[in-house]
Amino acid sequence: MAEATAVAAAASSKDPHVGLAAVAALRALQESLEELQVGNARAQGWSWAQIAGVLQVSKQAVHKKYRRLGY
Amino acid sequence: MFERFTVTARQVVVMAQEDARERRQAEIRTENLLVSLYIPPDGAAADLLRRAGVEREVAEAEADRRAQTKGVPDAGKLATLGIDLDEVRRQVEETFGPGALERTQAGRQRRLFGHIPFDPASKKAIELSLREALRLKHKEIRSEHILLGLLHAEGGAREILESRGVTLDAMRAAVASLEEAG
Repeated sequence: MAEATAVAAAASSKDPHVGLAAVAALRALQESLEELQVGNARAQGWSWAQIAGVLQVSKQAVHKKYRRLGY
Repeated sequence: MFERFTVTARQVVVMAQEDARERRQAEIRTENLLVSLYIPPDGAAADLLRRAGVEREVAEAEADRRAQTKGVPDAGKLATLGIDLDEVRRQVEETFGPGALERTQAGRQRRLFGHIPFDPASKKAIELSLREALRLKHKEIRSEHILLGLLHAEGGAREILESRGVTLDAMRAAVASLEEAG
């Protein structure tokens, strides 16, 4: 309970250091998860168009981003 | 570097990383090593510390007090948003296997999720534990040598111990007599 309160306090912090750093960490986590899921989809035979459709980005964007990773 | 460490001494080092993670530190500090000396049940260092009047609770409280929230690793930053990175990792690993997040490009680029490095003082303390073992002509690095390393290196652990009257010279003697007793 005390910890939940502390987290809530931090989340509503107006300190830009805290808020911006949290956003950056979230972006890194998102990138990592996206890469795992794109790789998984390709391994299951999905086309770039299918992946892009579900991710709600353009086919070109997702292809360009992940082709170099060997997916 | 760790090949001459006993199983117990390695455990101490591993637990120090865990301790740093739990305290949401960006680096492993000497206090984390000090606290971890109490964890292995067969470590001589914990006995030496208790005999010198430093109980585990004292070391823990001091480590808490000194834990810096500055330079929090990503787990701590995500916690401010209510995201439990350990839980996310657990879910991801169920599907994609151990270390899946860390193996991605994004995971490798930033020291994202797992590894917490030693800060300069704790690195120095580990190096000095080796030197303390050599000095006593011991072939292995044991937990008590880590304790001597902590007393030898500049850092929070030494400050905590010295403030309670524990000195390097006295502890060196205690470790040496431990040997003679067998």
